[in-house]
Amino acid sequence: MTTYVLRRLLQAVPLLLGITVVSFAILKAIPGGPMAAYEGNPNITDEDIRRLEHALGLDQPVHIQYLSWLTAFLTGDWGYSYSSHRAVLTEIMERFPKTVYLMGTVYVVTLLVAIPIGILTAVRQYSWFDHIVTGTTFAFLSTPTFWLGLLLIIVFGLQLRLLPLGGMATLGTDFDLLDRVRHLILPVATLSLVGIGRYVRFLRASMLETLTQDYLRTARAKGLGERIVVARHALKNASIPLVTVAALDLPELFVGALVTEQIFGWPGMGRLYWDAATRSDYPVIMGFLAVAASLIILANLAADVFYAYLDPRIRYA
Amino acid sequence: MATLRSSQLLAQAVALPATAYRERGQWRMAFERFLEHRLAVAGIVVLALLALLSAFAPLVSPYNPEKTNLLLIFESPSPSHPMGTDSLGRDLATRILYGGRVSLSVGVLAIAVAITLGTLIGGIAGFYGRWIDAVLMRVVDMMLSFPRLFLLILFGVFFKGMTLGVIVIVLGLLSWMPTSRLVRATFLSLKNRDFVEAARSIGARNRDIIARHILPNSLAPIIVAATLGVAGAIITESTLSFLGLGIQPPTPSWGNMLKDATSEMNQAPWTAIFPGLFIFLAVVSINFIGDGLRDALDPRHVTKRI
Amino acid sequence: MKRFSIVLASIALVVAACTPTPGGTPASGTPAASEGPTRGGTLIFAMWQEPTTLAPPYLNQTIAGLVSQVAVEGLTRTDTDGKYQPVLAKSVPDINNGGVKLSADGKKMDVTYELLSAVTWSDGHAFTSADVKFTWENRMKDPKVVNRAGYDQIESIDTPNDTNVVMHFKSVYAPYPTLFGALLAKHVAEKEADLSKSDYNQRPLGTGPFKFTEFVAGDHITAERNPNYRDKTKPYLDKIIFKSVPASEVAIAQLKAGEVQGMWNILESQTPDLEKESAIKLVITPSPSVERVEINTAANKDMTDPTSVHPVLGDIAMRKALVWATPKQQLVDKLLFGKAKPGSSGYSQGWAKYTGPPQDSYDPKKANDELDKAGWVKGADGIRSKGGVRASLTITSTTGNKTREQVEQVLSDEYKQIGVELKIQNQPSSVFLSGSWSAGDPRKRGTFDLDMYATSPDIDPHTHIFTRFHSSQIPSAANNGLGNNYTRLRSPDVDKAIDEGGATLDLEKRKAAYNNAVKGINDAYVIIWLYERASIDAFRTNVGGWQGNVWDNITWNSGDWYLKK
Repeated sequence: MTTYVLRRLLQAVPLLLGITVVSFAILKAIPGGPMAAYEGNPNITDEDIRRLEHALGLDQPVHIQYLSWLTAFLTGDWGYSYSSHRAVLTEIMERFPKTVYLMGTVYVVTLLVAIPIGILTAVRQYSWFDHIVTGTTFAFLSTPTFWLGLLLIIVFGLQLRLLPLGGMATLGTDFDLLDRVRHLILPVATLSLVGIGRYVRFLRASMLETLTQDYLRTARAKGLGERIVVARHALKNASIPLVTVAALDLPELFVGALVTEQIFGWPGMGRLYWDAATRSDYPVIMGFLAVAASLIILANLAADVFYAYLDPRIRYA
Repeated sequence: MATLRSSQLLAQAVALPATAYRERGQWRMAFERFLEHRLAVAGIVVLALLALLSAFAPLVSPYNPEKTNLLLIFESPSPSHPMGTDSLGRDLATRILYGGRVSLSVGVLAIAVAITLGTLIGGIAGFYGRWIDAVLMRVVDMMLSFPRLFLLILFGVFFKGMTLGVIVIVLGLLSWMPTSRLVRATFLSLKNRDFVEAARSIGARNRDIIARHILPNSLAPIIVAATLGVAGAIITESTLSFLGLGIQPPTPSWGNMLKDATSEMNQAPWTAIFPGLFIFLAVVSINFIGDGLRDALDPRHVTKRI
Repeated sequence: MKRFSIVLASIALVVAACTPTPGGTPASGTPAASEGPTRGGTLIFAMWQEPTTLAPPYLNQTIAGLVSQVAVEGLTRTDTDGKYQPVLAKSVPDINNGGVKLSADGKKMDVTYELLSAVTWSDGHAFTSADVKFTWENRMKDPKVVNRAGYDQIESIDTPNDTNVVMHFKSVYAPYPTLFGALLAKHVAEKEADLSKSDYNQRPLGTGPFKFTEFVAGDHITAERNPNYRDKTKPYLDKIIFKSVPASEVAIAQLKAGEVQGMWNILESQTPDLEKESAIKLVITPSPSVERVEINTAANKDMTDPTSVHPVLGDIAMRKALVWATPKQQLVDKLLFGKAKPGSSGYSQGWAKYTGPPQDSYDPKKANDELDKAGWVKGADGIRSKGGVRASLTITSTTGNKTREQVEQVLSDEYKQIGVELKIQNQPSSVFLSGSWSAGDPRKRGTFDLDMYATSPDIDPHTHIFTRFHSSQIPSAANNGLGNNYTRLRSPDVDKAIDEGGATLDLEKRKAAYNNAVKGINDAYVIIWLYERASIDAFRTNVGGWQGNVWDNITWNSGDWYLKK
């Protein structure tokens, strides 16, 4: 197992390198650039633009720019944002906990709701409960996140005035747990409602599959109660694909749900990226993509390892 | 994001069992099983209706989708404008029909690109194996390691807002990887099976073996993945358009209609509700169809009541 | 970005002890005499773009200027009439009060500022002439500063004592009072090896009514009462929190819900909705920003030759027809809800304001006749052509701007009525407005037929009108893309008028010259002045003391703001 993990990690290095090269190439191929921010400023001269381009190293050949970015990046210097001039690492670390806070809650809520529903719909397949719940989760699964978010804002924020429209906390007040929770409700609901359907479907499908397996028949034949059969035997096996999917979703915890953060004004990673992308803030974009890609690679590895751990039939050499 | 990826993951999930369909009878049985899935049949009906209405929009609607009328701004729904008018006095229902052309074709075409590319690459990797397989699968790994929406945003900026053709190609280029893995897996599991060996022993060429014997056997999971992929692509297109990076006005798409609507929600809530509703209808129908197809094509999923 | 020059004209400012009463027009929240301002409270102000930096040398966003100026001040500011006012100086030096002295040959000048005494930075450190000199030195040395225009005309600065600054200009630089609109605190800034990377960049020190205590990117910026502010009765508010929200509609929703008490930059299309709210007051202030459609008279081709002729738009009949087929009044009434004025020039405010005849009004019939006469014949599809050239054009603007997209769609529809096809081909502002030859700005490269955007001239319009309409300012490969004459207008009359305007210091003569230039531009039919925009901000009705300012952001008098009890 250890050798397997090590080999996978080793393989990740050229993968990441490739990703940074491709990202950088795309960035550089995009017409326009960071200097666009200065248009409209009547006091800026072409000379100013050239001076700034030079100061930011934008007048160098592309491959030199990439190599200097890469060498700096490898030594822990992720560069400075073109627009705020702050260190990229500082910017990312400032947003990181806030995204984890939102997405972590989403993750926990989603799983807490989805697991019991998934089990129940499978155990009571084709009951009215199954139909209603499967139908509902299916409907949410088919709803664009941004539309759901907007509808929730209209109903609960604007019409009923029950919940705040956005942000992490009421500004100008001291820390207040209830206030924090109130701010979490709408964004978490938006993302969870869409996410729950997904997990329910996975769990239901794999539960149904395991419930008909021979060893469960044996267990039942031995006179074990259905409840115990489900809890002890079926669930364990049925959770394998669920764990895999959950692990694959982990990067989202960090990368954030861009659209949702955008709609609810959540100061997380997604908004950082959106702002950087629209400003052609190359160092921030590169830092972000490198982090995101690393996380995805690690999550894939974690999923495979979990899978092997939970399913004794799988062995990695 | 969650929704964007869901279809891919569903596709991976259905990919695991690569059931062989060797006889016509099995397709027939699958078709019968599909008909039993009432929601899937309903999905087909709704989707067909949406597609027909969009395709024949000029016959259905007396209005021009791009004709502005500043005297008719934000008319609420009425008999002459069943879904009201938008911020430029255009008939919303008409725009939704025409928008359906864009949104539905983006979904179908993007996935067609993805499936073609995925089948090709997966097939090559699976059939030839060795270093070709290794290289192609590393490419797949790399593509899968990009955060998709984030890359799409970059492309959106790159292409200065996208046209139908560009968005189809970009979405296709970013969506083929699951299919390729799926096809490769089928190839790996089938290429040493008896019937392939038999074909080879009587001197069939590689091309024929792939076309006649292996590909038909991977069709089932591909069909399911493709169907669900279309739903995902429609949502992705609407998300991109919502961010202002998708199809550009005046061409209506359900996504860009919603983008406009966000600032008008209070004055004209119908402009926000109807386009979203149609995205939802299309996606939910397609998802049901995909579900039905999976149950039909992969009998393992049809389980008896306990 | 549209109201850029307002910021620049004023980056610093805010509040002298005496609040001037500017002439009339802009709305104000000054209450009836009986109410009187009250002290205390926190105001939350929504901003739907986010400042990345607040430090004067790096500041390049309207919103950043708006936030920065509650704390950071300069020597002078521009009042709502476009007149300069002293802030940290005792008076604005000019030739009459002896503050400005021309050299014997009339080619150089010295400007002397006398500073207010006993002013301190918000940390209690004394403000002196050394800070002014340091601000200039930083501007000239730091490679990352946004611009040096004007500062590079200063040869040296003397500081004979703590309250006197003598600036030796190497030329006669008329807009000198616009310089030093925001100052750096030497005692803090000089310790930083790279100021741009320091904390100062997000929380600059100032002498204004507030001081920055918190900068949380993506979330909020807090400005608290400056205990060392020179006017002990101000500010009335304890705190202003600038809340970052992702979009203007979100800001509006929060304003309605009372989650915020004020917001910046409301779109015209959003006003009818807000006007219905009794707890919200709109602040509509005229601004120098004018939305325009520029017509490319040279061939639509990368690195276009300035002397080439556009196959369709090279014909003045076609350009006239486009002007006449543009329903400005209707756009203003229906899309801008009457919150703008149909445009007639790019110079709608200040002393140089255009007062000549308005640009031709909407008359599609005349446009059709003109095109018929000029030999543009309608084809089967209703689109005209002449000599095998189809009257098919594209219009380019910024993606994602709803009002612009609406206007484009109306134009496309209107132009179709006169047999001209107009296709929309928008680009993100990072390209379209990059103003950069190398970044491929289509306006610079000449790869457009019609473009649409807004710019604002400074209070002194010379640079603006010169770079945009003088024939020497056509960007081309030959001049490395210098200049902003995007219409590729080459008119000796216009050149002459602009040159005259720049050659004299007599304001009346300059005004007449610029008016002539605009008239020449209008007669060449190379530009459609769509509409003159207003700045629209809003407060909830429990906020008092605010006042709109044509040449400045709404926060210019934040020290006077208060919350009603």
